Amino acid sequence: MADTMELRDIEVWDGNMAASHALRQVQVDVVAAYPITPSTPIVENYAGFTANGYVDGEFVMTESEHGAMSCCIGAAAAGGRVATATSSQGFALMVETLYSASGMRLPIVLNVVNRAIGAPLNVNGDHSDMYMGRDSGWIQLDSYCPQNAYDLNFIAFKVSEDHDVRLPAMVHQDGFMTSHTAQGVHTLTDEAAFNFVGVYQPMNDMLDLDHPVTHGVQTEEDWHFEHKARQQHALMTAVLPKIQAAFDDFEKLTGRKYNLVEAYDMEDAEVAVVCMGTSVETAREVAEEMRAQGIKAGVVGIRVFRPWPLEQIAAVLKDVKAIAALDRSSPHGTVGALYNEISGTLFNTDTKAVLTNYIYGLGGRDLTKAHLVSIFTDLKANADAGKVTTPLQQYIGLRGPKLSFF
Amino acid sequence: MEKKGWDGFEIGAMLRSFDGATRDIATTLPENRPYSVSNSFTASVADWRIEKPLFNKDYCIDCQFCWVYCPDMSIIARDKKMIGIDFDHCKGCGICVEVCPTNPKSLLMFPEQKDEETALAEWPKKEKKADTEEKED
Amino acid sequence: MLEIRWHSRAGQGAVTGAKGLADVVSTTGKHVQAFAFYGSAKRGAAMTAYNRVDDKVVMNHEKFMRPDYVLVIDPALVYVADITANEKDNTIYIVTTHMSTDELIASQPKLEGRKVYTVDCIKIAQETIGKAIPNTPMLGALMKVSGMYDIEFFKESMVKVLKKLPQKIIDANMIAIQRAYDEVK
Ligand code: SF4
Ligand code: SF4
Repeated sequence: MADTMELRDIEVWDGNMAASHALRQVQVDVVAAYPITPSTPIVENYAGFTANGYVDGEFVMTESEHGAMSCCIGAAAAGGRVATATSSQGFALMVETLYSASGMRLPIVLNVVNRAIGAPLNVNGDHSDMYMGRDSGWIQLDSYCPQNAYDLNFIAFKVSEDHDVRLPAMVHQDGFMTSHTAQGVHTLTDEAAFNFVGVYQPMNDMLDLDHPVTHGVQTEEDWHFEHKARQQHALMTAVLPKIQAAFDDFEKLTGRKYNLVEAYDMEDAEVAVVCMGTSVETAREVAEEMRAQGIKAGVVGIRVFRPWPLEQIAAVLKDVKAIAALDRSSPHGTVGALYNEISGTLFNTDTKAVLTNYIYGLGGRDLTKAHLVSIFTDLKANADAGKVTTPLQQYIGLRGPKLSFF
Repeated sequence: MEKKGWDGFEIGAMLRSFDGATRDIATTLPENRPYSVSNSFTASVADWRIEKPLFNKDYCIDCQFCWVYCPDMSIIARDKKMIGIDFDHCKGCGICVEVCPTNPKSLLMFPEQKDEETALAEWPKKEKKADTEEKED
Repeated sequence: MLEIRWHSRAGQGAVTGAKGLADVVSTTGKHVQAFAFYGSAKRGAAMTAYNRVDDKVVMNHEKFMRPDYVLVIDPALVYVADITANEKDNTIYIVTTHMSTDELIASQPKLEGRKVYTVDCIKIAQETIGKAIPNTPMLGALMKVSGMYDIEFFKESMVKVLKKLPQKIIDANMIAIQRAYDEVK
């Protein structure tokens, strides 16, 4: 039996510390990792917790991130509660195995501390790695602050391990801006946290020696399509209701309310920015300030990036006149991914909204409140004109001559 | 159990090796194991063969090479003794014949329709090494 | 919203200081944020750390800050780092130095006309803790200048923050905090 840890009601934790305590509290059986900045403290802390008797678990140092996720896949197929963490190039090296994990329907929780992908090498936060994972078949939950990084881990385990879901889940947080920023985090007791997620319920585990199974099979043309369709069916139909149910239970337990789509000041908003990560909170502050100046500004935060809550997002944006999709990743050759998602979401609806795209914050470049004020000001002009008054895609916070496309 | 079609598989394309629970599977002989339809044990590849290996126990030294090298686990051995070939799963590749070290070989390939008794009667005798080879040393 | 910027060298404990302050402030029901600029800085490189303190949850994640207080815990940074960057009219500077405030301003004209306090945190740390780790004494000086908390309450809270350290080190830190509180001018 692992020792319990007495926590204060509010601990001043950074996002990494918060995530690692969540892994401790749900008593993860196996963490296999190849540590990488800025996610290192998550697995390092877990290793410390196991070494000091606070978790009955196993920390496995592997030879690469590819090995780390492969080891997680093995441990999950064997029937354990499994988690790890990575960032950036490490995430990129994991990609091949991410598809195996989701295709094999294994509930693994991956904490992704979002970081730029080189070259040039950069340890700071942007969303390049998160975007790279978006077709991998994983559930992707997004944190805006250390409190979210803590809470969403519990949601991730609960949903991922549900027998109607059995899909792996990523919990994203912004490198440094969340992972290394200490803020007050309301804690759960070890008991309450564990009970919220519950005892791991195995399903077809390899270590059930009386019922030997084969995981990781080959299916050629005659089966592969149906198998992938079935995976997509589960991701598209089972996951959002389960996340909603987990959010509801979590609110009952903690009073903290999460939504599939976070809508702030959106009831009567004429202009809105859609974004992810810490930018959501900064944008909320700016939206409040814009409202004080008479601009009906709102913010839509993407909480669940995959599966994409298309209907819910369309609903919160339906009456808005001008929308900006903020992408913290270089789209390299097209419009930003969020711009594309929002376009796809609003196409075929009655919206008359004008949609523009801002690329910002690459490699940790600061998104200042002043930047957001200028975005809201652009949006107001678009809303008043009823058409796009700026280029479709603009770079914000970039030095040198203005860069824009379309 | 009925064979599952494309719409019958479990999530993750996980396959069950056996029907129901099993105990001490390692000490149970293959023919006594409750293999499920999704296990390849229940699928025969006998019709893949054009030639088949036949076994002549008179020359066999039970070295187990054939058992080790057969890619389809079709060499039947009991108590470390070669006793024959599993013709449901032998695909006729000839690897066992290739690796058999005896002289003459204890395994030889024959046409699929060849009857065993005739084959044994025609089994080649021990080959003498060529004179040229002996002189070379 | 109260905003603080720390100027330090990597390894001098600005991050620990900022987090320690956040820890204490958090126990009083206020909301806090503590972060730093990292990059691939090596030990000894100039770096900055930040605190935000507010009555409501801190949602601003921009790194840009117009500080109310600038805490400089390495004497040389007054000359090599841009310590007056993004200052406000009423930004208060607390600088670690062996000089008097007048001497310091004379040596760095950028500080002319600013509210500047000085205290030798390095010397205090060396004499009490035995190492040139000037972060905790700087917090003592901040308590005096800002009047944020009663010094006894602050020390009690810091004891809890430092609880994992050996008792001898904790005691030395408390003396250091008190001395900086008394000596800052
Ligand atoms: S012919 Fe090939 S498959 Fe058949 S027993 Fe020999 S090695 Fe095995
Ligand atoms: S390889 Fe030949 S000698 Fe060796 S066990 Fe097989 S049949 Fe017998």
